[in-house]
Amino acid sequence: MQAGATTVTASPRLPANTFTIAGALLFIVVAAVFTGQKDFELGAFWLIGIAFGVIVQRSRLCFAGAFRDLIMSGDGRLMRAIILGLAVTTLGFGMLMARFVPDPSFNVLPPGAHIQPVGFATVAGGVMFGIGMVLAGGCVSGTLWRMGEGYLNSWVAMIGILFGLWGASKTWNWWYDIDISKREATWLPSDLGLTASILLTLGVLAVAYVAILWWELRSPRLPEPKAKPAPPAFTLREHLRNSWNVVFGGRGWTYTAGALALAVLSIVAYNLQSPLGVTGGLALWADNAAQVANAGGLPLKGADLLAGCSSAAAGAEWLTIRTTTMTGVVMGAFTASVLSGEFKVRFSRNAARYPQLLVGGAAMGYASVLAVGCTIGAFFSSIPSLAVAGWLYAIALAAGAFIGVQVIRRLP
Amino acid sequence: MQIDVRGEMCPYPAMKAKEALKKLPDGDRLELVTDHAPALSTVPWEGAKLGFLSEIASKAPGEWVITLEKASAPIDQKQVLTAIAARAAELAPDEA
Repeated sequence: MQAGATTVTASPRLPANTFTIAGALLFIVVAAVFTGQKDFELGAFWLIGIAFGVIVQRSRLCFAGAFRDLIMSGDGRLMRAIILGLAVTTLGFGMLMARFVPDPSFNVLPPGAHIQPVGFATVAGGVMFGIGMVLAGGCVSGTLWRMGEGYLNSWVAMIGILFGLWGASKTWNWWYDIDISKREATWLPSDLGLTASILLTLGVLAVAYVAILWWELRSPRLPEPKAKPAPPAFTLREHLRNSWNVVFGGRGWTYTAGALALAVLSIVAYNLQSPLGVTGGLALWADNAAQVANAGGLPLKGADLLAGCSSAAAGAEWLTIRTTTMTGVVMGAFTASVLSGEFKVRFSRNAARYPQLLVGGAAMGYASVLAVGCTIGAFFSSIPSLAVAGWLYAIALAAGAFIGVQVIRRLP
Repeated sequence: MQIDVRGEMCPYPAMKAKEALKKLPDGDRLELVTDHAPALSTVPWEGAKLGFLSEIASKAPGEWVITLEKASAPIDQKQVLTAIAARAAELAPDEA
């Protein structure tokens, strides 16, 4: 027997690890039925999480990268795709909110929408999150889907995130008393009306899109090569093979396809109960784990009044729509990466990377409690909720990412 | 020249590629091995800014080799870029 001889198959077709795939799909269905019997929405948000994971794995829709690459290399492709996604989500949320709150001038906030308080904590959280996501190589959702793809780096970052979330829950009262409790969750339609708020949001998104494109074109570069077209199909089998390859083959989806799919998913999620969010569930699990050592920090003071991705849910609950969503993201990304032949356990050989991941993760975890959400809950779900906080958070994220880029340029 | 950035996540593949391209001897090409799918988008971007064309081949499940080669020196940049784009479109169907 020859040692070390490995056969490598190029461009995998139908994956060889059929057992893993069958197991993963079976687990997804069984868990959906099990949670869905308990409560329809638990099961639904598990499947929404799965879809979330599949979408971001296939399209590599990295929110941290959107901010970082814009600053670091003048690459605005991710951010422009996310802006398109935000525009579609805004239209969808607008329709839903018009149904929930027919007259916004009464200062009634639409239930479920991610409308966070606007204050110092939003800015501090955004900057801190921005630095953390650059250090950790991905935001909280990015860490979740890379965990599913087999990145041990992301598992390390997740340990940091959980500690950060727990630490923030323990120190929440200070932030709440000094800032958050005094701030208002500003919803644009309360002042402007729904139509004007939607149009204003779309207008600002359009301006941002063009501005980013302009920024991108400042650095001259070669055009991108065209994707290779699918082979001609004549039989049913060939058609199915081509369709399969569109979803799970090649190098994945375009950013735009991913962002638009995520937009539709967020609208579906909001129609059911609440827009997409992942950190609320993680915060809950971090605290549940800490409670074993009698070191829990929940429930948060005043959290029942906070709209958004918070861990406001009752006591030591393990299954909520937030926790099924976040575990779904990992499972969805795992399944998609196995189906596309991209799953691989990998880790950084540079030992200096691991403290960096822990620190970055902890910063993100802490920040996402302050700002009541991460790049998903307090940005991708907040701007379409017509909340002022989402915009402020986005600017703070960009500032944080700028600082983060300066930091990693000086690290090994 | 060949660099192996397996195990590294964004932004490191693109950063390392940029560093390597800057000290690449004339006429040489860079082969970058990565297992980070987002690098398939960021590395060609950095290369393109420095005038390198990229080609991606899959090496193993979840592993790719990106080959970066210097494009001929542009005189009228816009004209050259348009020509390259047209040629890329022409060649695309033949790419196996």
